[in-house]
Amino acid sequence: MTQHTSGSGKMVLVLTLITALSGAILAAWDSYTAPKITYHREQALLVAISQVLPAHDSTRTVVLNGQTFYEAFAGDSLVGVGFQALGNGFQGQIRMMLGMTPDLETITGLEILEQVETPGLGTKIAHDPSQRSDPEWFTKQFNGLLPSPELTVIKNATPTHSNEIQAITGATISSQAVVRILNQQIESARQAFRTGSEVVHG
Amino acid sequence: MNLFLIFISAAVVNNFVLSYFLGICPFVGVSRKVSSAVSMGLAVIFVMAISSVFTWLIYHLILVPFNMEILEYVSFILVIASLVQLVEMFIRKVSKPLYDTLGIYLPLITTNCAILGLALFSVLREYNFIESLVFGLGAGAGFTLALVIMAGIREELDMAPVPKYFQGAAITMIVAGALALAFMGFAGLISI
Amino acid sequence: MAKKQISIWQEIVKGLWRENPVLATLLGLCPTLAVTNTAVNGLAMGLATSFVLLSSSLFISSLRNFIPHQVRIASYIVIIATFVTVADRFLAGFFPAISQSLGPYVPLIVVNCLILGRQEAFSSKNKISRSLLDGIGMGLGFSLVLIALGMVRELLGSGSIFGITLLGEWFEPWMVMILPPGAFLTLGFFIAIANWINDRRATA
Repeated sequence: MTQHTSGSGKMVLVLTLITALSGAILAAWDSYTAPKITYHREQALLVAISQVLPAHDSTRTVVLNGQTFYEAFAGDSLVGVGFQALGNGFQGQIRMMLGMTPDLETITGLEILEQVETPGLGTKIAHDPSQRSDPEWFTKQFNGLLPSPELTVIKNATPTHSNEIQAITGATISSQAVVRILNQQIESARQAFRTGSEVVHG
Repeated sequence: MNLFLIFISAAVVNNFVLSYFLGICPFVGVSRKVSSAVSMGLAVIFVMAISSVFTWLIYHLILVPFNMEILEYVSFILVIASLVQLVEMFIRKVSKPLYDTLGIYLPLITTNCAILGLALFSVLREYNFIESLVFGLGAGAGFTLALVIMAGIREELDMAPVPKYFQGAAITMIVAGALALAFMGFAGLISI
Repeated sequence: MAKKQISIWQEIVKGLWRENPVLATLLGLCPTLAVTNTAVNGLAMGLATSFVLLSSSLFISSLRNFIPHQVRIASYIVIIATFVTVADRFLAGFFPAISQSLGPYVPLIVVNCLILGRQEAFSSKNKISRSLLDGIGMGLGFSLVLIALGMVRELLGSGSIFGITLLGEWFEPWMVMILPPGAFLTLGFFIAIANWINDRRATA
């Protein structure tokens, strides 16, 4: 009996020691890698901003009504406004960077930052390997579109109007999710950008 | 996102075994007979439902508030391992017949990547509590479905003239590939 | 002395073919199938798994006389999960693109039966040096199969290997190869080819 208790005492002790050691190793490793991970995330954001906005030589971050906007300047004139669009796709969150003209009427570019859609189908919103000459045809469709009154998705046909985009075959839900998220976010961005007063430089 | 969509998506459209490759070990090992496949499937549904609840609580009530997300993997695997042990002990106490059908499969479940995969996907997709539970049930149902279909095919396969070098694991993989191809057809199921 | 040399060599080589974790013992199939849609992903997953395998083997074989038998599995998985977190954060911090394309399959190394299996079958019973050699062999064998699978699938599915386009515009990529069914089919053929080679060796 005494042997049993000392045995289980040792068991608990060893497990506790191993777990404590694991915690210590991970805490140290976390403090080393966390800044690097944040840095990469910011870098990815910067690259996306420069890709979705027209040619510019400086950017400025402003916060209006709690929403973050990235303004691009060529010389002194404002040439574009970028912002992140977030929402639920078919499987989970889709995070995008959208670029628009300063009046928020015309889209200048779209980048998918993060998505977890169905491999091989929904992932085509970001990269479509079946179109080898242009794997990013889906996001490129948005260039120059006028979301007024709003963007719409059409299936199995070539878009004819300036607010239409073509759905990906086999990934209609993901295509529609992208458009739904953009419509919502463009609407709230317009409100924030046009009526927002509080400007914070970043 | 509505709950029905989550369930269907986890069960058939993105079947855990056939499109995420989670739970392949039991898929290859326990899919020889339909009856044992059903029992294993039920045990997995059971453990998945419970573990999706517990890992959600641990992540959102302990790890996130205390800023300890780095311990995610360590704590998830510990929770799953101890849960499986508890469930096994509980079933053995409560019902002998149930233990005889499910119990022997429970120890195998700890290292079933589908259980940990479920917890990781729930966190990644930012599901809330109810969504996580439904996701767990759907994933379990999908696992069972794949396992039972596979067992049915393999029972037939025993009598089929399989080429010599393909006997065993190789033909199982080829059949799984054909099944995965068939399951891709479900992708059109919920397109609006 | 000479005899020992040979057996040390064999400790490494056994993982490459005779006891290859994927082709012979069918361990760790989940990442094998999931991330081998490109050669780079296969390589990254192979290296990450080998790292976890080696560090866990080192740790566990040096603690083997200290861990009580009843809690050994619990101790192993805590140790393995720790090193998996280290590998996961390393990839996220230094190779963000690879980390994103491997996604949740890096944390799933925790439940890779290969790693727990080697600890239970080998590291818990052998000296540190032996366990390291075993880990090197197994890790190498696992990585090589993953890279080979990735190369075949990437070539047929996207016409390239390691991102370098090899097959020109005339080639219509077999989309299915980089999708889930292609993973099962390719591995099925790999195992069949391994059976064929073993059979020829046995009869030769």
